[in-house]
Amino acid sequence: MSWLPLSFGFPLVLWGLVALPVIWWLLRLTPPKPQTEVFPPLRILQRVLKKEETPHQSPWWLTLLRLLMAALIIFALADPVFNPRERLPTGGSALALVVDNGWASARDWDRRVATAERLIADAEAASKPVLLAFTAEKPNAEIGPFDADAALDRLRAAEPRPIPVDRASVYGRMAGALGALPGATVAILADGLRTPGDEAAFQALLARAPESVVWVTPERLDMLGLNASANEVEGFDVTAIRAAGDPTPRQATVGAFDDKGRRIADAVVSFGPGETIATGRMTVPFEMRNDFASLAIDGEPQAAAVRVLDENSKRRRVGLLSQAEADGSQPLLSPLYYIRAALQPFADMIEPASPDLAEAIPELLAQKPAMIVMADVGTIPDTARALLVDWVHEGGTLVRFAGSRLAAAGNDEDLLPVRLRLGERALGGALSWTEPQPVSDFPATGPFADLMPPSEVTVTRQVLAEPTPDIVDHTWANLADGTPLVTGARREDGTVVLFHVTPEATWSNLPITGTFVEMLRRIVQLSRNQGSIAQSAEGTATSLAPYRLIAANGGLVPPTADARPITATGAVLPVTLENPPGLYGSEEGVYAHNLLSADSAFEPIVQPATAAPVTELRYAFDESMDLKGPLVAAALLLMVLDSLAVFWMSGMFSRPRARPRAAKAAATSAALAAALIVLAPLSDQAHAQDAKPGDQQAIEAISTTRFAYVITGDASVDSISRAGLTGLTAFLIEKTALEPGEPAGVDIATDELAFYPLIYWPIDPNAPMPTEAAIARIDAYMNQGGTVLFDTRDQYATGLDGAASPATQRLRDILENLNVPPLEPVPADHVLTKSFFILPEFPGRFNGSPLWVEASLDASNAENRPVRTGDGVSPIMITANDFAGAWAVDESGNAMLPTVPSDPMQRVYALRAGVNIMMYMLTGNYKSDQVHVPILLERLGQ
Amino acid sequence: MAQIGEAIAPVATRDALARGRLRASLVPDLLVEARRIVNTVIAGWHGRRKRGIGENFWQFRPYVDGEAMSRIDWRRSARDDHTYVRDREWEAAHTVWLWADPSPSMLYKSRGAIVSKESRGLVLALALAELLSRSGERIGWPGLSDPFTARNGAERLASYLIHAADLPAKPDLRNLRRFSDIVIASDFLDPVEETMEWLDVLTRRGVRAHLIEVCDPAEETFPYAGRTEFTDPEGGAKLTAGRAEQFAADYRNLYVARRQELSAWCKRLGWSFTVNHTDRLASEALVKVHAAMTIDGGYAGARV
Repeated sequence: MSWLPLSFGFPLVLWGLVALPVIWWLLRLTPPKPQTEVFPPLRILQRVLKKEETPHQSPWWLTLLRLLMAALIIFALADPVFNPRERLPTGGSALALVVDNGWASARDWDRRVATAERLIADAEAASKPVLLAFTAEKPNAEIGPFDADAALDRLRAAEPRPIPVDRASVYGRMAGALGALPGATVAILADGLRTPGDEAAFQALLARAPESVVWVTPERLDMLGLNASANEVEGFDVTAIRAAGDPTPRQATVGAFDDKGRRIADAVVSFGPGETIATGRMTVPFEMRNDFASLAIDGEPQAAAVRVLDENSKRRRVGLLSQAEADGSQPLLSPLYYIRAALQPFADMIEPASPDLAEAIPELLAQKPAMIVMADVGTIPDTARALLVDWVHEGGTLVRFAGSRLAAAGNDEDLLPVRLRLGERALGGALSWTEPQPVSDFPATGPFADLMPPSEVTVTRQVLAEPTPDIVDHTWANLADGTPLVTGARREDGTVVLFHVTPEATWSNLPITGTFVEMLRRIVQLSRNQGSIAQSAEGTATSLAPYRLIAANGGLVPPTADARPITATGAVLPVTLENPPGLYGSEEGVYAHNLLSADSAFEPIVQPATAAPVTELRYAFDESMDLKGPLVAAALLLMVLDSLAVFWMSGMFSRPRARPRAAKAAATSAALAAALIVLAPLSDQAHAQDAKPGDQQAIEAISTTRFAYVITGDASVDSISRAGLTGLTAFLIEKTALEPGEPAGVDIATDELAFYPLIYWPIDPNAPMPTEAAIARIDAYMNQGGTVLFDTRDQYATGLDGAASPATQRLRDILENLNVPPLEPVPADHVLTKSFFILPEFPGRFNGSPLWVEASLDASNAENRPVRTGDGVSPIMITANDFAGAWAVDESGNAMLPTVPSDPMQRVYALRAGVNIMMYMLTGNYKSDQVHVPILLERLGQ
Repeated sequence: MAQIGEAIAPVATRDALARGRLRASLVPDLLVEARRIVNTVIAGWHGRRKRGIGENFWQFRPYVDGEAMSRIDWRRSARDDHTYVRDREWEAAHTVWLWADPSPSMLYKSRGAIVSKESRGLVLALALAELLSRSGERIGWPGLSDPFTARNGAERLASYLIHAADLPAKPDLRNLRRFSDIVIASDFLDPVEETMEWLDVLTRRGVRAHLIEVCDPAEETFPYAGRTEFTDPEGGAKLTAGRAEQFAADYRNLYVARRQELSAWCKRLGWSFTVNHTDRLASEALVKVHAAMTIDGGYAGARV
């Protein structure tokens, strides 16, 4: 079958297709069995039926359907496979698989696993042992030989690692293992990137003269990596690299994320054709740049595309020192005022608590600032000076401003960039010929080279540098006459900068211009935080625990079990399984350990030359598909269709009246199927549509307070219930502030109960027992705060022998399925007896039955108050007094039923009982608090 | 799948004893039901309202010449100048034959029906027996008993039916006399020609017949659909319809045509023809038959 990519596991079964004509013949002969009916007027029917021959054969389409079903089953039994893959040429005595599972494998790891699975499956078919090694695992990981199942388990358990591969050692171990299995097939599943030492590794591996070599590499090396980032003055620069030899241009977006993983900036990096390096810049405010915690290339779920950032790119700490800070009442004259204002937006200020320099400088240095600004500080105490010099030499940036004290102090080789002449120079003024000098263009070599010189700045006084040969190199800014205004010099790792004017606007108006801010900002940019923990504790290397690690898929994850603390010594540390890339340290300070360094490059792997035959493959999923399942499923579907057709032919669907149950079942299933089909795509719409059927009733039910009664189905009982609640409603409107709406009859099986505060339930022993579902609804209603008032109406129906009346028996049956709390007759001090009227008893049409309510077990009435305290409202009340009978009134307001005994006061008491119950329902224990009011007032001395 | 119709009694068993027991257990119930139905009808029963041979006084009328002198009521005539004759109400007993079809096809009862056709036929016959014997008519069951007069006519008929060994499918109608009525409750499912031939003897004898066609709703509406095999309860013949619902209309036409033909034939002969469905009440048919029997005094049959 070359035209169809189909192969069969058991082609011989296909001979079964020969049997199809036989099946056809059999099927034609056996029509579906008819239903038999006795029919007396057969002789009349005979005359009609003569027109049509009785069908002895099935209809052709049914036969076709069944034939198709048989053919499908035969095909399925033949075990067909669509798109069968060819077996890989794995001869040899064993299969040695070396799989790269470094960071470059992460993106299509599944595909690599699928490829390896195929190789192992072929080895299994030939029952060869399998050696399996991963190049980014621990060096002591077991490599086999395994049988195929164990190898598959290991393969599936393996996962890509966010570290570079170590081919040399793993290949060496594999070569050692191959020594015992000569003539094996070696399958190299490489990630396509060259690593140092590849040649030696391949030589070691292939030196054992393998039977054949399978060389699997990815089709394209399209991974991107972030190998550098820099927090520059104008923005945050990121550098991305890709593999060499890609002739197409490419664009990628690099996102910057804060420590909570929120994206706060992004940049586009564009590779031109053939370019391997691209740079992007995130032009976001400085403050936001300091929040960057990690960078990641969008759509590159692998470790190299993620770069974590540590303190080196963060906000700087700037220490401020001054000796004239005492006068707080004149802030504008404070030397640090303008500096503080200029630095505030992009640096953290730290100021010493003590004005004493010998204490202030160590205090500042302990906080490891990136920069220290000294405003007109002249002489520094020796101990402090030594510390300061050390700090500068280790990379600190010291910015000094001139002033009268500095001018008076002697020269300081370490802490001043240039030698100064003693004293200061005044420009202009009454005794001078010179004019105040403006600032000339900034020298191109200095850090201010790209700033516009401020034309409005004039300098009237400055300290002068000794003219030395290298003065020009140290000059960052000049006055128009060539004398330096700002000088700077390196002192080992650090920088010393001197502004030859004061930081307040006395010697010049530079501090009150925007240029001053820009200049300070530049200097801050040049500084580096000295507070990274790597250089703490006097330079001894500390061990940093893993904090956040980069996973193989590029995410930041908590440390894995394998990760070990890193020893930050300043040198570039290798990325290994023990030290995967990520952040080390703690929340206070982290050290970024990144996969790629600035000189990293992606170079394609070189295929080693070998004498053995080499099969080159690409990573791919197994596309062969076993058709057995779908075929059997199709056959089953046809079987269902066949059954439906047989039903249809026997008239199941066309006799809805005569076959109610069958038709109902069929209709239900059809409706279900239709609902599934229709609802699946429409479910969104269904959600979107807010209005529901029954909304109107619900709104009506809750717009006024209503009492509800249970519809028992017995018209006389229901009409009395309705009339009773109507009478009570009228009484309530007349006597109280409560004005309830029309009473509502509810069907407890279907209606929503939650709208009603109280449901009156006359127990009718003749009514059908409520279903379990209905009782469960009542239970839920009671649990959610509703109250049910059961009325058995049989106070005088109970026989002398004490046997329960049918209504009581029915009530017991109902309560059996409810969660009924412990009950008690209403005690004399219960709030029900006082919630509106003071009532000793609760008569209805009959008198004498107690009203049962939930027992208030924890209620206390220690102080002999008129009412007991206690929370909650009883969810259940039971009486036998026939309340509704006593309340019931007709349209003209006359009582419908006589009370027993016929006492008009009893009806009044019944109505009062109803009022008390309703008030109790609606106000709860509020009334039990309310009864204390007279006592409270008395105590207040009213 | 449940069937629409069923034969409620075993048809194949022709065992006399079993049959007798069956009927014995059936008839008392029927009798009770028949009584119940009669009680609803008897309210409209007003006697003969005719003069004739009887015992009760009917009217005084003036004597006309030619009448026997012995008929003059002297007590009445003495009161004035005329001579009166005392008439008595006609109380001559009339003979009504009753017969319900016992054939197996009557045992059919569909799901929509209340009772089987046989049950309905017997109820109707016994109810009429009760009705007629209360009013002193002579009732008989062709092939089972001669006409008799008894207050408990229905009971007696019932006991005859219980003890009848094996009733013929078609009774011999040749010994029926003139001026008698016969009530036949059957389903009349035989071809009309056969029925007419069977009943023709009645027309020749001048008997007035009241035919009650007891029919099952399923027979009339034909609610069958799908592939159905129909069995005749009498002959056991079978017939399979591929799509039964296709034949419903034709069948109904034929069924109704048979009924109309029979009905028209009866009308022409002055007979009554009543259709009673087993899903309706038996009293409906009873009222109709009763009305038909009383409308013209039971002598209309003599016109033939």
